[in-house]
Amino acid sequence: MVQYNFKNITVVPNGKDFIDIILSRTQRQTPTVVHKGYAISRLRQFYMRKVKYTQTNYYDKLSTIIDEFPRLDDIHPFYGDLLHVLYNKDHYKLALGQINTARNLISKIAKDYVRLLKYGDSLYRCKCLKVAALGRMCTVIKRVAPSLAYLEQIRQHMARLPSIDPNTRTILICGYPNVGKSSFINKITRADVDVQPYAFTTKSLFVGHTDYKYLRYQVIDTPGILDRPFEDRNIIEMCSITALAHLRAAVLFFLDISGSCGYTIAQQAALFHSIKSLFMNKPLTIVCNKTDLQPLEGISEEDMKLVMEMKAEAMKTVIGQGGEPTDDQGVLLTMSTLTEDGVIAVKNAACERLLDQRVEIKMKSKKINDCLNRFHVAIPKPRDQKERPPCIPQAVLEAKAKQAAEKEKRKTEKDLENENGGAGVYSASLKKNYILANDEWKEDVLPEILDGHNVYDFIDPDILQRLEELEQEEGLRQAEEVDDDFEMDGKELTPEEQQALAEIRKKKSLLIQQHRIKKSTAESRPIVPRKFDKDKQFTTRRMGRQLSALGLDPSKAIDRARSRSRGRKRERSPDNECGDAMDMDVDTPNKKLRMRSRSRARSVSRPPGEVVPGEGFKDSAQKVKAQKLAKKSSKKRNKDARRGEADRVIPTLKPKHLFSGKRSTGKTDRR
Amino acid sequence: MANRIQFENSCDVGVFSKLTNAYCLVAIGGSESFYSAFEAELADVIPVVKTSIAGTRIIGRLCAGNKNGLLLPHNTTDQELQHLRNSLPDQVVVQRIDERLSALGNCIACNDHVALTHTDLDKETEEMIADVLGVEVFRQTIAGNILVGSYCAFSNKGALVHPHTSVEDMNELATLLQVPVSAGTVNRGSEVIGAGLTVNDWTAFCGSDTTATELNVIETAFQLKPAQPSAIVDEMRKSLIDSYV
Repeated sequence: MVQYNFKNITVVPNGKDFIDIILSRTQRQTPTVVHKGYAISRLRQFYMRKVKYTQTNYYDKLSTIIDEFPRLDDIHPFYGDLLHVLYNKDHYKLALGQINTARNLISKIAKDYVRLLKYGDSLYRCKCLKVAALGRMCTVIKRVAPSLAYLEQIRQHMARLPSIDPNTRTILICGYPNVGKSSFINKITRADVDVQPYAFTTKSLFVGHTDYKYLRYQVIDTPGILDRPFEDRNIIEMCSITALAHLRAAVLFFLDISGSCGYTIAQQAALFHSIKSLFMNKPLTIVCNKTDLQPLEGISEEDMKLVMEMKAEAMKTVIGQGGEPTDDQGVLLTMSTLTEDGVIAVKNAACERLLDQRVEIKMKSKKINDCLNRFHVAIPKPRDQKERPPCIPQAVLEAKAKQAAEKEKRKTEKDLENENGGAGVYSASLKKNYILANDEWKEDVLPEILDGHNVYDFIDPDILQRLEELEQEEGLRQAEEVDDDFEMDGKELTPEEQQALAEIRKKKSLLIQQHRIKKSTAESRPIVPRKFDKDKQFTTRRMGRQLSALGLDPSKAIDRARSRSRGRKRERSPDNECGDAMDMDVDTPNKKLRMRSRSRARSVSRPPGEVVPGEGFKDSAQKVKAQKLAKKSSKKRNKDARRGEADRVIPTLKPKHLFSGKRSTGKTDRR
Repeated sequence: MANRIQFENSCDVGVFSKLTNAYCLVAIGGSESFYSAFEAELADVIPVVKTSIAGTRIIGRLCAGNKNGLLLPHNTTDQELQHLRNSLPDQVVVQRIDERLSALGNCIACNDHVALTHTDLDKETEEMIADVLGVEVFRQTIAGNILVGSYCAFSNKGALVHPHTSVEDMNELATLLQVPVSAGTVNRGSEVIGAGLTVNDWTAFCGSDTTATELNVIETAFQLKPAQPSAIVDEMRKSLIDSYV
């Protein structure tokens, strides 16, 4: 949607200012220092730049003017005609044309002078050419100064035009001067148009906005129109005619039936018939105003006839829109803006008829198919027998009933906040509205972490219920147990039973004892695998007995069996086999079979004091000699505690003479 | 009645609040005005609870609930869970569920009888919804959007769906939900109905950008005023055509 906003056109400076702006800009933005001694190409370039820069600036400035002013042929015909009526299309176009010509002239001048500057042979001549170029450009601008001034005036006027959207829902009020058009717009909108008891109080279009059925309507108040030939109409009247001609609006033709405006009903009817061609295809309503002075029924016969004639004409617009020819509602209405009698009815009728017309047009458009779902309410078909009632608390219904009577205001958190220092200061407790069994628990602090555990992991919302269940269960069991105990009482046993019981207990204790003894032997370690010795019979003693029975000495076997018993794993096996192992190593060098790694024979150390040849010496003797000489040479020095070449030395890292004093470039490492 | 409110200059009130027939959750804001808008309207009838969920203020998008229960995402903290359990009446079951799609409010739309869900929700979650909320669960899309919670809002009396939902889809939804379904917008043309609107059986809250036409569609669709939803077709038709086409 094109927005018609003429408020942000840039200011058009007048001729003199224009020149000042451009020249001072050239002065500021291009180099200013030049010498006679410069190479001629540099001089030429210096002045060419000035000429070109000035031209570019002129071009830009003039282009913004040309682009920003609306082209009357391209904008909506309503605005096109309105601007023509107000400013005269020819004059307007001429002014913009002159600006365009000036722009082209300046470009041409710049081009010529740049070409001439190429042949400039001295600073003086180049400068003269530059001065001539700039001078001619400024002269061109001076010549279009009147056009610039005119455009500036137009710009100021256009910025004050009302923002009328030619495509939206519009209600247009028209009629003779002083019939109450502005009073009406003041009644139905907040436009606040000046109302005075003389003709042509309203000299231009005024816009207000009003609402009807959730939609916004633009109401346009037009200046009054007189009944005279089209050519004789003045600019003020032409504004109204333009609006009537181009806006697709609902038209309210105001009729002063009291005649207090100074025009008779006959005159007003003549006007109606002379401009009725403008009402074609628009919902037209004839509004008889000022009924407080003169009711419609009270007017004379011939006047009534004129009114009815007008009504018949207005009916044609209804028929033109496909309405019923007998449906004369909202075609002729009476009202009084003074007593506000019928004002709203007029507004509603106009809005309704406009809406009807727009909807009818829109229903024929293709776009309606995209929005069909928006006007559809899907009503459910029942899919089962289930009832799905709404859930509205009783309190709401009661409150609704009470609301009619009176409603006391609740003190909300916002009120509390405002009382206690406002937002950012007041901090409401989140726990205030907890629903707990006891109100005192509300502000209780519950630790989040206790003994390294997340407390909430142990919270069960149903804990109380479960506890109750458990307690019930416990109670039941206890009751049962009481019954059982009653039967199990020892006193009730017969002597035989008692004897059997004693027997059982004795046997039981015996078994326990036996078990304990079994457990204590060899720290209850199995010596023979358990699966072969279920009764723990394979003891060393028994083995000894068996071996002696065979006539063998069991002592060694027992010893060996004992030593092999488990429980001493950490130690190395006793060395009784070691000798054998050492012997065996000779035949079996396999590492894995060796019990212990053999020691390597240690190599012989060098005897102390022996001198190894090397370091360039032929043999030890020569080296010994050299060492002796070295010792001798340092002997005296060492004795005097003087510095030798082997002493540690810290050299001067930053010699002062290299780092102090004034230095120019490149002196640091040469000094 | 529908109310127009704002949460700290944001019109997405459905993001910062959750309204059901048994309780109302409200995000903790810088000032109390948002909370008080709910409080003034509801606090006499149902608990209005200030809370955060998973440390955020976008509670309306993170949780799903109706008068029977409240489902919270897995990242809800223990403290928040306890706070909600303390604040809500005992008949409301508060349940934290282990669902990968943690913005439950976007994935689940429900009233007290029916729930529409995202198509990719777990089987267990679906069962949990049916158990905790006591509803029938349908996996659905709205105008091709799988985030059903964002693009529709419904109560036991009416439903408002994404403006591009086709008429056939609307009829199908109406049969599933067993309430009249209308298509519309909130907040001056916003399609995310769930974000701009929060509604229960007797009241609604929408963003302050909502136009008069939108507000009227909302009030009629949810039967917040005496008119039946069919008024959208009869009385408002002309205004709607003129503003949309």
